[in-house]
Amino acid sequence: MAARIPYWNINYGVIIDLLAIPVILIFLYGLYLQWQGIKKGRLRVIPSITSMFQGIGTFHPAAFFVKGILNAKIYRRPASGIAHGCLFWGMVTLFVGTNLVILNIVFGLPVFNGAFNRWFMAFLLDLAGLLVLIGVVFFLLRRLFMPERLKMPEARKGFVLVGSLLGFVIITGFVMEGARLSAGNLETGAFVGNFFASSIIGKANALQIHTMTWWVHGLLALFFIAYIPFSPLVHIILAPVNCGFADPSPGVKMGVMDFSAFDDEDAEELPALGADKLSDFTRKRFLDFSSCLWCGRCQEVCPAHNTEKPLSPKGVIVTMAQKLNNTEMDETVIDSMSMEAIFNCTTCAACMEVCPVSINQPKTIMRFRQNLVMEQGQIPELMGKAVSSLEQRSHPFFGTPSGAAEWRKDLEVPVFEPGKTQYLLWIGCSITYEQRAWNIGRAMVNILQKANVSFGILEDSRCTGDPAKQMGNEFLFAEIAQQNIEDFSSLGIQKIITMCPHCYNSFTRHYPKLGGEYEVIPHAAFIKMLIDEGKLNLDTKKTGGRITYHDPCYLGRRNGLYEDPRKVISCVGNLVEMSRNKNESFCCGGGGGNYWAEETGTRINQERAREALDTNADTIAVACPFCLLMLTDGVKKYTEDTRAFDIAEIVDKFLKDIPET
Amino acid sequence: MHIAVLAKVVPDYEVPSMDFELSNNRAHERFSRMLGLYDENAIETGIQLKGKTSSSLTIISYGLESDIQFLRKGVAMGADKLVLVKGTSDDAGIIAQNLKQAIDNLEDVDLILAGQQSADMDRGVVPGILAQMLGTAFIPQVGYIDYKNGDWTVSQMTATGQRELEFQGPGVLSITSIPENVPRIPAVRAIFAAKKKPVIKLNGIEQGKMPLQEISVEIPKIESVCEFIDAQDPNEAVKSLLTRLSEERYI
Repeated sequence: MAARIPYWNINYGVIIDLLAIPVILIFLYGLYLQWQGIKKGRLRVIPSITSMFQGIGTFHPAAFFVKGILNAKIYRRPASGIAHGCLFWGMVTLFVGTNLVILNIVFGLPVFNGAFNRWFMAFLLDLAGLLVLIGVVFFLLRRLFMPERLKMPEARKGFVLVGSLLGFVIITGFVMEGARLSAGNLETGAFVGNFFASSIIGKANALQIHTMTWWVHGLLALFFIAYIPFSPLVHIILAPVNCGFADPSPGVKMGVMDFSAFDDEDAEELPALGADKLSDFTRKRFLDFSSCLWCGRCQEVCPAHNTEKPLSPKGVIVTMAQKLNNTEMDETVIDSMSMEAIFNCTTCAACMEVCPVSINQPKTIMRFRQNLVMEQGQIPELMGKAVSSLEQRSHPFFGTPSGAAEWRKDLEVPVFEPGKTQYLLWIGCSITYEQRAWNIGRAMVNILQKANVSFGILEDSRCTGDPAKQMGNEFLFAEIAQQNIEDFSSLGIQKIITMCPHCYNSFTRHYPKLGGEYEVIPHAAFIKMLIDEGKLNLDTKKTGGRITYHDPCYLGRRNGLYEDPRKVISCVGNLVEMSRNKNESFCCGGGGGNYWAEETGTRINQERAREALDTNADTIAVACPFCLLMLTDGVKKYTEDTRAFDIAEIVDKFLKDIPET
Repeated sequence: MHIAVLAKVVPDYEVPSMDFELSNNRAHERFSRMLGLYDENAIETGIQLKGKTSSSLTIISYGLESDIQFLRKGVAMGADKLVLVKGTSDDAGIIAQNLKQAIDNLEDVDLILAGQQSADMDRGVVPGILAQMLGTAFIPQVGYIDYKNGDWTVSQMTATGQRELEFQGPGVLSITSIPENVPRIPAVRAIFAAKKKPVIKLNGIEQGKMPLQEISVEIPKIESVCEFIDAQDPNEAVKSLLTRLSEERYI
């Protein structure tokens, strides 16, 4: 079989090649305009890169490749994931094929010969075209019958036009191929082209059809390429870049704020606290807003949105994208979202976990919250009381009837002694001041004593400041954290066991940036370690029955600790999983300061409690006192039995004395 | 116009009864100190009034120099300056006399607001005594205040209802807590600015002491006595419970 001849049956075909030059320039100009928009954002402070997540400056090649190019997250939804895969990988293959044709024309690269022609240029490119067409049809149909997450609060426009355009490019490509084959000979491997040639296109008109479709295909393809940066398809470029520039460590990564300029008499400009307008955001956030496809996966998993609250993480990003598109840089944005919505966020990070293009929605929401609290003094009443209490009493549990030492009444708990005690057992505010949580502290003390661990608590009760941070008061957080760091230094504290994931998150994520570096271990992981080391004698007959485990957001999604608590539970009972677990876990509703919120709509804790009870578990295990309090309350809607217990309480129940040898 | 708000720094008023203890007949020094509960409502009311009437606002306190750090929160909420009369007396007459000294020193005060009662002594008498000393009107338990053409219109909020009152010239109003005067969270800029605002310190005087002596101070002892009522028959259990409560004079 003779090799394909460039520009066969075409006069002046070089025109298409020449038109490609301005098209590429238009494409690059479109990207330049995107950059001009993103560049208006503030330069972010470059965070230090840990050895675990090495990158080039703030760019992370592994995340760029895995999340941006391989689109690892998109396949969590199989239908749209596969359709997207067909479209993306089909286009990549066609792009390679088109470039091979160019190399054939310019350098005579023999791509149209032998097996390579048969399997790649004919079969694979036909297959790729077909896959792209399948993807296009899927996405066009979905635009026709849009699911709620795409429609609400608003659907992104432009997909139908660009999808149809791509569909026409592919169809004209197939017709052109069919006409070429019909005029000549069928080609082994070109199964779509052969089909068109033998079934649809007659030999009589093949040459004319080929000429016509060659030009139409070429011009449409060029128009499509030029249009990409001005259409939603610009995400082909922006999404991988956004993935690459997103810090791949888990969680929201709020960082800490430096308030020294406020005390500096010579400071020329005081930094904005939080954000209330577009220009307050960094380039990375601008990239977030530009990369967003408005797919709505974030709002679909959002506990606030799922329980009829006004917050939609998609809505927040869409609003910002529209402001960016209209270059409304200095108009206040907070007014276009309700304060209620901004404080609805539980900071559970489910939205950013599910986002296929690595957008950090909670960070944008938290920046608004910081502005409301620190610049405008606005905060919902109950949260305001919690913040005031934290400021006045160093704990947020206003109106508590519990004294600071009540949780350890009649229990001998050692106090941390500098130079003698190994671990500081950090009790935290919820265990100290909420009666239901007292037993967690008591159980943990018993576990540590039985395992002969050298530990001690602080004489006075403390809070890490996390509630203030989550409610947007970074200033109060910094004050509390700095005081704790000072006191820890004077006590020579190096190792800390935390009872609450929020404290763990503060100690590991935020305290090091303020100069407090410690070896911190969550109590669930510490118990697992004690079991592994044989320091706990557990009744392992699994008489604990069916136990389901609720992943606390600050331990799981924010810090990647999923397995240790499950292993502990499996020692004493039969672990059964809820439908949403591990990184897809559903929040208890207490995060982001929402423990002190008057909820509207369905209560999040009741929703999660129902999900837990649906497993027919006898016990709901948690590893966070706030989750315990929320779920204890949530369960009350369905049963009078106490079902939620902390891992420490469960283990304590199954502890046996180690026989003396 | 010049508004003055009287504020007192008190020991934590939310210390659970089990934890509460005395030292020298007063709350133990280990308890956190903070602005009084109703005083914060009074400051919030004053700040709102300041905004409406383009007034200046001064916080006046009688207490220790170490109280200034806590009073700055009030300044950060929106006051212009702070006057501290140094003293340690708990005598309502002496306190009122010292506050009068500060007000006289300011010369141009048009309205004086105070919390309904202090969060430590809970007497609620100082504003009244002060008003008498100043020879002005005194209205307790005020919720809403309006100013029009030289007239003050105030709403007195009592447990049984609301009363509208009107007066002219200076007056002393003690402020109760209403949804509209929930104290604001000071903005961070205001917190830093408050550190730079003027603090006038006056030496206290020992005049005006009331003719009374404190003999002793006691706090309730916490006792936990548990009695089980047989609940086999709920109707009988309710009857037994009501009888017991009645016998013990709880109902």
